[in-house]
Amino acid sequence: MEGVIYKTLSSAEAKELNIQTQGPKESEAFVSAFLKRCLPGLREEVIQERLNRKAVILEHSVKQKKKQKRKRRKGLSAKEKRQLRLFEIKAEQQRYNLFLPLHNLWKQYIRDLCNGLRADTQPQMIQTKLLKADLHGSLVTVKKSKCPSYVGLSGIIVQETKHIFKIITKDDKLKAVPKCNTVFSVEVDDFISYIYGSRFQLRSSERSAKKFKMKGSIDL
Amino acid sequence: MTGHVKDKEAFQRLSFLYQAAHCVLAQNPENVELARFYCHTQKTISKRLVLRQDPSVKRTICKRCYSLLLPGITATVRQRRHYGQRRTVVRCLSCGLTKRFLNNPNYKLWSEQPEALLENQPKPEQNTIVQQNQQKEKKKAKPDTK
Repeated sequence: MEGVIYKTLSSAEAKELNIQTQGPKESEAFVSAFLKRCLPGLREEVIQERLNRKAVILEHSVKQKKKQKRKRRKGLSAKEKRQLRLFEIKAEQQRYNLFLPLHNLWKQYIRDLCNGLRADTQPQMIQTKLLKADLHGSLVTVKKSKCPSYVGLSGIIVQETKHIFKIITKDDKLKAVPKCNTVFSVEVDDFISYIYGSRFQLRSSERSAKKFKMKGSIDL
Repeated sequence: MTGHVKDKEAFQRLSFLYQAAHCVLAQNPENVELARFYCHTQKTISKRLVLRQDPSVKRTICKRCYSLLLPGITATVRQRRHYGQRRTVVRCLSCGLTKRFLNNPNYKLWSEQPEALLENQPKPEQNTIVQQNQQKEKKKAKPDTK
C-alpha cells in the first residue's frame, strides 16, 4: 500500500515539524483502519483489491451524450391540480362578513355594466347583460327547487362551477347548491331576475362565450 | 378611446374578476384559494374570447397555480444577478414557480410602444374609422371651445 496512497515522512521534514515518525507496520495498520472507517460498506479484501488494481485505458473513449430532457412545462396537469386542492375554500375563511366587500364590488360592477341602473331601463336589456355577467359576489336566494330543503336559502355566491353554486349564508355556512332543477333569484337595486339553473349548467368562464337560445320550455 | 370597444362586457367582467381577487385577498390574506379561482376564471375567459391581457395583469398571476401574486403575501420579490444582469425575481409562495424580469430601463413593452395603438396601425380599413372618429372628436371639441 505504501507509495499508492501515502508516503512516509522524511526525517528532515519530521524534525522541522517536530513530529515522531511512525514505523512502516504502524502506519499501515493506521491506514487500513482509516480506510475501513471511511468506506464502511466494503470488506477489507475488497479494499485491498481496489488499491492494487490499476486500469489504464489507452483508447479514446467517446462519452455518450445524455439526451437532454425536454423542457418541463410550466403548467400543472389536471391530476396535480386536483391533488393540490387549488380552489377549495378552507373552513376558516367561510365567514359572511369577509364577503360583504365582494358583494359591494359586484353591485358596482353591475351598475357599471348596465350604465347606471335606472327605473326606466328595460328589463330585457338588463337580462341580456346579466346573462353574460359574472355572478361571483351576488346575493341570491333559491326560489324553487325540486329538493324542498334548498328553498329559501340565501347568500352570496362565492364560487360557480359547472353544476354547482357555492353560496355562503348569513350564518357563516358554505352551501353547495346544484344548479339542476333549481330557480334562483338575483336582486340588483330593486330589479329581480330569475335564473333557471337547469339552463345555466356551464362553467362560469364558458358562459361569456356561449350564445343562449330562446328555445324550449322553461321549467324546473 | 371614443369608439365602440368590442367585447366591452367581457372586459368589464375580466376587470371585475381581477378586482374581486384583490378584494378577497385584502379581506383575508389567507384566502388564497378563492383569489386563485377568480384569476383562473379570468384567464380562461380571456383565452376563450381571445382577449389580450395587459402585461401588468399577466405578471401578477402565477402561470402554474393561477394565484394572484402580491409581494409579501403570496409572492417574494428579490433582486438577483442572473447571467451578469440584474433581474427582479418573483417567486410564488404556494407552488414555487419563479418569474424573472430583466431590469432594463430602456426596455419597452409592446403595449407601451406607439405602434401598438390602433390609430397608428397602417391598415386602410381602420384608418377610415379613425378618421371618422377624429372628425367626431373635432365636432365634439368645437362646442367646448365656444
